[in-house]
Amino acid sequence: MTSVQTKKELNQEFKDVKYILTSSMRTKLLLAVYNAPKNLDELRTELQKPSATILHGLKELETINLVRKSQKYYELTSNGYLLTTNMLKLIENWYSLSKSEIFWNNHDLSDIPEETIRKIYLLKDAEYISSTTSDLSISFNKYIQLISKAKKLEILLPIYSENHLKHIVNLLNEGSLKKLELIVSEEIYNSISENELFKNELLENKQVTITILENNFKIFLTCSDEFISLTLFFKDGHYDDSQILIATDENAKKWAFSIINQYLR
Amino acid sequence: MHIDNEIDNEIRFLAQSEIRLKILSELNKRPNNVRGLVKTTKITYSSVSSNITKLEENNYITKVGTKYHVDPMAKIYFKTLMDFKKSIEIINNYDSFWDKHDLKLMSIDSIRNINDLKNSQLIETTPLDIYKTHNTIKHQLMNSKRVKAIFPYLHPEYPKLIEKILKNGGSVELIIPKEIVKAILLPMNEKLKKDATNNGKLKICSVTTDLNLYLTICDNKMSLGLFKNDGSFDQNRILISDDKKSCKWAKELFKHVKNTVIG
Repeated sequence: MTSVQTKKELNQEFKDVKYILTSSMRTKLLLAVYNAPKNLDELRTELQKPSATILHGLKELETINLVRKSQKYYELTSNGYLLTTNMLKLIENWYSLSKSEIFWNNHDLSDIPEETIRKIYLLKDAEYISSTTSDLSISFNKYIQLISKAKKLEILLPIYSENHLKHIVNLLNEGSLKKLELIVSEEIYNSISENELFKNELLENKQVTITILENNFKIFLTCSDEFISLTLFFKDGHYDDSQILIATDENAKKWAFSIINQYLR
Repeated sequence: MHIDNEIDNEIRFLAQSEIRLKILSELNKRPNNVRGLVKTTKITYSSVSSNITKLEENNYITKVGTKYHVDPMAKIYFKTLMDFKKSIEIINNYDSFWDKHDLKLMSIDSIRNINDLKNSQLIETTPLDIYKTHNTIKHQLMNSKRVKAIFPYLHPEYPKLIEKILKNGGSVELIIPKEIVKAILLPMNEKLKKDATNNGKLKICSVTTDLNLYLTICDNKMSLGLFKNDGSFDQNRILISDDKKSCKWAKELFKHVKNTVIG
């Protein structure tokens, strides 16, 4: 038998998180009143459960000061609001991860800052696209299509790819792309500067700002006002051009910019 | 707001068992075998072993050589669960600070990032020291060069404190209700005030809407005070901190309030 003392300590350590998360009813009730107070009728319709079950759950939440009853409406207390916001963050973190689990699981995530990984809920509306055996360039073509509409790009670029760079040079020359911020490692910078075309059109172009980082990194992240995209490396160290994660919403932009800012610092 | 059933089930699988949570948190620190886990957790061999099997079946851990490792994805899932645990602790530890207080001016991001406040300290007045909160803030203000503050009310000592910061070459940015702008500025030295305004060392953002939040960021220290739900300021408790994360958190909140009140 596990000793009473050990059991007690374990119980104490995880008590609250367990209490909130193990009852589907309690979780759902908190979420149901998150955006607006609701009365019993509304909760019954929304949750499809008998009154007794709902009232029992509400009572439990009232007892631990997460919900209060005001007139006939149930609403979150201050503590309930703080807790539910963070529970929602947890749920959305798990949702974002599981939605693109193949993408995340396939790749080396070590160069995504830990703090940003923990805020992956910001990517809940992101979608990843995979190339197929019949069309190996779906993901690359999608990338080119996306950047062709951008006026301004910020790119964390961990690879030297003439394919990518040629397109970018074209966009600058055609005038659709007005401003480019490139963050590269010293190694990639040297490769770029050895190519005459890129040296002239990128490195000596006033529309282009280059930041050179000492170390190599394994994350290819592009941010613009319209979209963000992310491609990564396999765990064996090779770049993967077959899967790209794309998002166009504000949260995803916030997520991506926070990574760029951390690299710039 | 809804929760996907599958995610609900997955979260519950972990949350249901303290033993599984404990095993994961140990393996997250370092890979180990059953015997090693029994030793560090003091849980019985049979419990550890049966839960190890369940965790393995659900793809949380894998045996590599003789030791169990947490799968890379499971590590992230687990960390976000532990983040939630920490946020509950922060809510509970500072219960009297949050309970029945107005959080409307707090941004959703500041609430999601509430764990950044984990090294803060709750300062409460006592019958023997009823000015403890004010004196703490005063002390922070007195020795600072760069101050950003949201003052929802006027304390008679503020003008002097601000004057002193400016005299020492520091900078002050304030968000204050329109009614108290005059009262803050009037007692201050005319020339100092003018110069500081002209060279950007004194910035005042006056507000006509409710300003139900108290916040100061003094160099590398912050303090936060809330209003009660009845609309009165709670003078008896503030949250203070001098760590980096809290200050960054406070700066973000300051920015948010500024954007909100400027509209």
